[in-house]
Amino acid sequence: MWWSNLFKNLSPASFFNFSFLPKYGSYFWKGIAYTLLLAVVSVLLAIIPALLLAMMRLSKNKVVKGLSGAYIAVFRSTPLLVQLSIIYFGLFGAVSIPRITVLGFVDISRFIPGVVALALNSSAYVAEIFRGGILAVDIGQTEASRSLGLNAWSTMRLVVLPQAIKNVLPALANEIITMVKESSICSMLGMVELMFAAKTVASTTYISLGPYVVAAVIYFCINYPASKGIEAIERRMRRGDKQ
Amino acid sequence: MATNNELIRVVDVVKEYNKGEVKALNGCSLTVNRGEVVAIVGSSGSGKSTMLRCLNMLEVPTSGHIYFDGVDLADKNVDINLHRRKMGMVFQHFNLFPHKTVMQNIMLAPVHLKLKTKAEARAKGEELLKRIGLLEKANEYPNMLSGGQKQRIAIVRALAMEPEVMLFDEPTSALDPEMVNEVLDLMRDLAKAGMTMVVVTHEMGFAREVADRVIFMDGGQILESNTPEKLFDHPQNPRLKDFLSKVL
Ligand SMILES: Nc1ncnc2c1ncn2[C@@H]1O[C@H](COP(=O)(O)OP(=O)(O)OP(=O)(O)O)[C@@H](O)[C@H]1O
Ligand SMILES: [Mg+2]
Repeated sequence: MWWSNLFKNLSPASFFNFSFLPKYGSYFWKGIAYTLLLAVVSVLLAIIPALLLAMMRLSKNKVVKGLSGAYIAVFRSTPLLVQLSIIYFGLFGAVSIPRITVLGFVDISRFIPGVVALALNSSAYVAEIFRGGILAVDIGQTEASRSLGLNAWSTMRLVVLPQAIKNVLPALANEIITMVKESSICSMLGMVELMFAAKTVASTTYISLGPYVVAAVIYFCINYPASKGIEAIERRMRRGDKQ
Repeated sequence: MATNNELIRVVDVVKEYNKGEVKALNGCSLTVNRGEVVAIVGSSGSGKSTMLRCLNMLEVPTSGHIYFDGVDLADKNVDINLHRRKMGMVFQHFNLFPHKTVMQNIMLAPVHLKLKTKAEARAKGEELLKRIGLLEKANEYPNMLSGGQKQRIAIVRALAMEPEVMLFDEPTSALDPEMVNEVLDLMRDLAKAGMTMVVVTHEMGFAREVADRVIFMDGGQILESNTPEKLFDHPQNPRLKDFLSKVL
């Protein structure tokens, strides 16, 4: 039959060939650790610039507002891989970072450019999360604080942000989940995260499918329970607010 | 004309919204003396809140002057934050800080602005809470309180700054009827103690009883300003007569 040839490389045997696992399992463990590190560190790094961007976006000054808007627009309207490449080869092509390995498997000369690129990208998204969170705090809170004589910055820091941050924690956690997935692109630049592990195993063992299936399963097992957990926490927070 | 007794003088204040489409205030002038209680009444949309919020620059007038202690707050070179400390404001919806306990709500501004040490602010807070019988709520969060309790604590939070004037914007409008009196009682006590107060209110009984002067606003203008007896019993302006016939 003509179509039997179509699937000749996609036999169940190749799909379920996990014979590499005992020997190469450690690649995946390291890949998981690297991926989680990339995701968590990049979102944490994004928080401060994102706050700044969000507050600039809410500023009355048109220039300040425009700058922040442009940053957000650029990072949200171009592919992450393109951003990553420009930052990796452009920015960090100019400054050289010593090849020091930390935690046994993280080569900082690759990790730092990657995490900075992810953080710059993430800050555009987190900025919008923060902006929403700040706007969701009742204007009466600001008015009460200002009427007590607190200036705009103190009001933001002591009254608005604490309430906004509580509101955006779930969205922030979701951003980490997004980053767990998106950071797979860093494999293109030789960062030894989960996707890179799968690629390495596939090319070493000539088992072309199994390693990626394992990677998919791992991504799913991290992200799905995490997003369900966040949903549950969100529901409980909302119930708490209603009281 | 200016006497030492004068605390606030509003001169020809105009407030426009949407590039002049809405004239919320259309040339208002008034004076508030120290120790005086002024009630502002008028129908919905007449500009009462806008007037009150211009007094502490929560709304910046389009034109005109607001003198507080002789300083023109509408002047852009004036540091409004310094003057707001001396003007307490109480809102219809309380606006307590939900992430802070009652005591933290009260202590926040005096401590942050370094007007008091923590110990002093706490002592002052305890004294004020004791006065309104809510000392046992000091460490509760606002969402555990009734509306009347919230509003009394909002008043106390403003009082903790030891202001020279208290501004109230319909402080009882968001309350269940059975809680209105506990708030009005506290305001009455404040008035008796000599606090200067400007109160936007729909409580005509309260205005008549407590106010030294009542101001009637309509269409962004002050149409009548008089003692409560004269204003309520012998209204001159036809709009005021019409308004009173509806609310009394
Ligand atoms: N931020 C704003 N933007 C546009 N128009 C506004 C704004 N604030 C107030 N206004 C308008 O200004 C007018 C006066 O409003 P204001 O809130 O001062 O009335 P009020 O006398 O306090 O009424 P109420 O008794 O309903 O509280 C109204 O017509 C209102 O719609
Ligand atoms: Mg109003």
